[in-house]
Order: sequence, then structure tokens, then C-alpha cells
Amino acid sequence: MRPATPRQPLWLLSPMLAALGVFFVYPLLSALRTSFYEWDLLTPPRFVGFDNYRAIFSSGELLSSLGTTLLVSVVVVVGSLLLGLALALAVHRPGWPAALARSAVFSAYVVSWVSVGLLFLWIFDVDAGVVNRTLGALGLGPVKWLTSTRVAPLTVALIVIWKVTGYAMVVFLSGLSSLPPELQEAAALDGAGAFCRLRHITLPLLRPTAAFVAITSLIASFQLFDVVRLLTQGGPVRSTTVLVYAIYEQLFSDLRVGRASSLVVMFFMILGALTWLKLRAFRAGEPA
Amino acid sequence: MHRRAFLRSAAALSAGAAGCAEQAAPPGRVVVPFWFMYGGRNRATLETLVQRFNRSQGDVWLRAVFQGDYFEGLAKLRTALAAGAAPALSHVVGEIVPYLAEAGVLEGLDDYPGARALPLHPALGQAGSFRGGAGRPLVVVPFNRSTPIAYVNGRLYGAKSAPATWAELEQTAHALTAPGRFGFGCPIDWWYWAALVGQAGGEVVEPDGRVTLGGAAGARALAFWQKLVASGVMKQPPGRDYNAWEQLSQDFLAGRVAMIWSSTAFVRYLEETADFPIRALPLPRGVRAAVPTGGTHFVLLKSAPDELKLAAWRFVRFVLGADAMAFWSSETGYLPVTTDAALGLEASGFYAKHPNYRVALEQLGVAEPWPWHKSLFRIQRELVQPALEAAVLERLDPAATLAKARRAAEASAL
Repeated sequence: MRPATPRQPLWLLSPMLAALGVFFVYPLLSALRTSFYEWDLLTPPRFVGFDNYRAIFSSGELLSSLGTTLLVSVVVVVGSLLLGLALALAVHRPGWPAALARSAVFSAYVVSWVSVGLLFLWIFDVDAGVVNRTLGALGLGPVKWLTSTRVAPLTVALIVIWKVTGYAMVVFLSGLSSLPPELQEAAALDGAGAFCRLRHITLPLLRPTAAFVAITSLIASFQLFDVVRLLTQGGPVRSTTVLVYAIYEQLFSDLRVGRASSLVVMFFMILGALTWLKLRAFRAGEPA
Repeated sequence: MHRRAFLRSAAALSAGAAGCAEQAAPPGRVVVPFWFMYGGRNRATLETLVQRFNRSQGDVWLRAVFQGDYFEGLAKLRTALAAGAAPALSHVVGEIVPYLAEAGVLEGLDDYPGARALPLHPALGQAGSFRGGAGRPLVVVPFNRSTPIAYVNGRLYGAKSAPATWAELEQTAHALTAPGRFGFGCPIDWWYWAALVGQAGGEVVEPDGRVTLGGAAGARALAFWQKLVASGVMKQPPGRDYNAWEQLSQDFLAGRVAMIWSSTAFVRYLEETADFPIRALPLPRGVRAAVPTGGTHFVLLKSAPDELKLAAWRFVRFVLGADAMAFWSSETGYLPVTTDAALGLEASGFYAKHPNYRVALEQLGVAEPWPWHKSLFRIQRELVQPALEAAVLERLDPAATLAKARRAAEASAL
């Protein structure tokens, strides 16, 4: 289809461009500008140059929250990838039991983060939670799921895995459905067993799907906020203060709009790099 | 069903779904937005007071809007101030008052009718709540004020007298500890640490404005917590801010902790919810007896139109009336901030019948004022709170941890 006039595509795109401009580009440019000011929302902003950036680097806040975010993200990506793939392979078959299993696993993905947070607050309670009660019945000591600086980030990651694995499974199921069946049949005729076919045919062909799942899980875990707000409020001792929560704390708790904006700018650059990786992963899967 | 009836039902359902139980303002009234920040029983009691005020006169209609807990509400208030959409009336925690006052967003109250003649308890008004508060323009009026107190499970503790010293508290915590039960519980929170610092003979901010975090007293306070936690007799609840407080209340009510430190604001809630008798006790003394005050103060926001601020002031006066304040205090556990309300409760026999409510009131004799320091809330949120958590959970050296926080205060020019 050819446009009636050279400007027609622009007109058709203009509503979306306007929405992007108002809700994404303008706030981002505004954050970039604010990041050079000291501002508490109440008194006039004061230009401070790169002081906010220096402060978030020298206080270790950026590195600390980035480190926490990366730790949670890596556990989430690896966990959801492996579990999603395993579940997809297990339920990629006809029949109602598999359909029921698919629905059950995916249902976690559509539950709101607030409900998930409250649910796991009870489940992981150190004294009365069902997990520690079960461990106690087995003679195992209580685990400080949410009150230990070493365990709490992993607990948060575990909860995110529980939530997003259904999504990973559905994407892998879609990838499995798109694989040409003749390759499997030919390999079976040649005497390849199920494990051999999985290793040499299914997994290599699923590589672009896995890259997609990995990158989307990574971006989702970088945007983690709700569950941290509900479960740990960034603690204990900032051990679960992920980047988005650090921005929230700077802005709404500490009244430091400039520092929050400098974190936003750094966060945008990191997400931009991840998106570039995602695009590269997609292109790697495309036929030349 | 007729179309009109259907639409009415739909509208009623929508209003119900939105939690909009309040009536619309009658025509001709000045509608005053009031942002408040607590839920549960305290919210219901406040809403009753608002309804009484709205019925008590025909000029003003107070519209109370819930805004989350103190910190969430404060964040919204600041954002609304920046957007030029702040309400006429709200209430804020004491630590933020110097900052808001210095930022010039609080209305001066000196010239409001009767403002300087309110029969406030000396420890709870601006003059008694802040060091040097008397010499400054009046910007706050106390509303829901409190002190930390101890609550014990009466079934376990019996009729014994309160632990009078830190050593006695420690002994009591050990005695009350049993399998599946901590003897003592306290949120690792700035407010309770400030109580311990005062008891250890220190000041968070010195009278000359230096941020010392109590010096040696601050470290002793922290070391005391560490000792109790390390010996397995003190529970530090998970979560931060009011999440930790609420968690500790639940542990106490479930019998998992025998004695807790919490706010007097929970007297009514704990008494009504527990299936065991509750006893409230004063905090122990260290080298001296001391408690901080807490809770919030009414503030009028300067940016609101004068008509709304004057109308809001009428509600403030109404709440501070003897009957309304006695109702507020007796229904919640917050302190009666006016002397006539306290005398009224005493005369009516309320305190004789409910001695737990009297504990915080009597503690006001040793209440210590907060420093009037512009960055007090930053000292609290950015420096002390994280340091307390780190020191207790990771067993860091208290003196070194607080010294690091002091250096951060100096570096940030707080």
C-alpha cells in the first residue's frame, strides 16, 4: 500500500508520537534537566552541575542498588528460563491434564503484584509462615527469609520467578509449536532418542526464543518495585533496595528530586543498553 | 427496572465501590479538604469527629481524605505543594516540621483566633515539642500525639511492677522468653532508639546544632539492643517503618512476644484485639528517665485560600475542644493534648477504669523536646534508620556505625 501523500504516514503516526512525547520523552528530558539541580519540590531548585551524579557514585548508592538489581535479575533470568523451559517441555502435549497445568502455571502471571506481595509476606514469615513451619516439622531450623541481608534478595528473586515463570513457559510453548516437526521425525528415524533430539534439535532451535525470554525477564526484574515495597521496603539494611526502589526512596522519602533524577537517567541508560541487546538477539535469530 | 432507577443503583454502587461513604457537601458550605494519614480504628474515630463537626455548624464542610501512612501522606503532600494543589489542612510528624517551616509552606498561626490561648499540655504544643519552639512563629498545633510505652501480656507478666532500669528490662526479657516466644520485642526504629539515647543521657542533635547522634549515649543505646538480640530474648520485626510496628503488634497478639515497645496510640486496638489482659507500662530509665514524643501536628498550608484556612482552623479548634479531644483520646489511646480534656477524663473516672491510658500521660513529665533542626527528618531517614538496621542485623560496632553516620551528616552538611 502506497501513502496518498508523503506526509500521510506521519499523520497516521502522530497520535502515538504525541503520546510518546508527552508521557515518555518529555518526562525523560525533564529528569535529565532536574538531575543537574538540587531540589526538594518545596524550595526553588539550585543548579549543582554534576554533584548529584558524583553523590550517587561516591556514596555507593548507585553501585549498591545496581548490584542488588543485577543479583536479583540474574537469579530471575536463570530461574525463569530453566523452569519455564522445563515446564513448557512437560506440558507441550495434547489433552486436558496438560491444558490444566498450562493454565495453572500461567495464572500466577496475571495475579497482581500487591496480592503476590501480601501472600508471600505470610508464607515467608519467619515464625508463623508456612515455609518455616514445614521446615520446623522436618527438624530444620528457621530461615530468615525476609530479615537476613543475605537471604532477602534471593527471597525476592524467588517470588519473581514464581510470578514470571508462567509467561516464560507460554513463550517457550509458542517456540516449541513453531519448530518444524519433520526435523524431529527425521532424527527419530535415524535412531536419535528423546534426550538426543532435545539437545541437538529442540534446544538449538529455541535459542532465539530463549534470548527473548531472557531479555524480557531481565527488563522486568530491572523494573521491580511493588514486591519490594510490600515485602521489605528495601531492607533489611538496603539489601533489597533495587534501582527503582532507590529512585522512589530518594524522591518520596528523602526529598532529593535531583538525585532521584540522576538515578533515573542512569537507569534509562542501563535499560537502553539492555534493549539494544534484545534487538541484537532478535536480529541474530532472523534469517540472513 | 426503570432506566432512572437503574442509573441511581449504578451510581450508588460506584460510590460504594470507590469507598465514598461520605455525604456530599450541602450547598452553601465552604468545603475544606483535609488530608489525613491513618487507617483502622483511628481513621474511624477521626471520621466520626469530622461528621460531628460537619453537623455542629452550617458554614463549613470538612472533607477528610485518607492518604496512606505518615510517610506516604507526606510524600503526597509535598507533591501537591509543588503542583499547587495542596489541601488547606493536614497533619505531619514532628521531625518534618522544621523543614516545612523553613521552606515557608506552613501557615503562621499566631494571628488565628485563640491560637496562643489554647489549653495545650506544655509538653505537646510547639513550645514543648521542639527545643526553642516557643520563640518561633507558631506553625503547628498538636493533634494525635503519643509517647512510646511498653505493653506486656498480663497473663505472663502478672501484677509485677514495670522494669525500672535497662538491667531490669533485660532480666524481664530473659524471664519471659520461652520456646516459641521472645521475652521482648521492639522495632529497630529511630523513635525507640531516640528514647534509649535520651535514657542514656544523650542528645541526637546538640543544643548548638551539631549532629552528634547521641555520641557515646547513642552507641550505648544501640549496644543494648544488640545485646538483647544476640542473647535471643528480643525480636526485631521484619520490614521498615510502620510495617515493622504492625508486624510486632501481630506477634504480640499471637503470643509470640511477651512484651513490646510500641506507641500509646495502640492501647485501644491492643486491648480490644488481644485474648489476654494487656498491661501498659512506662519505659525504664537509664542514667535518666526520658521519652520522645511522637505522632503528628495539625498544619495549615500557606498556599490554600484564606477562606479555607480560616474554615480549617474552626475544625482544629473543634477537635481541641474538651469533649472532642477526650473522645479522640479515649477511643484511640493517643494523648489528650489539652489539659481540660485530660482533667475531664480524670474527673469522669476514665483513667481509674482504664489505667493503661494514663501511662503515656504520666510519662510526659520526662518527655524530651526534639531539636529544631531543618534536616531532622533527613538525619532520621537517611542516616540513623539505615545505621540502626545495619548495626543490629549485622552486629556492627555501634560506635563505629554511628561515627560513620555522623561523617555522612558532615559530608552532606546536614
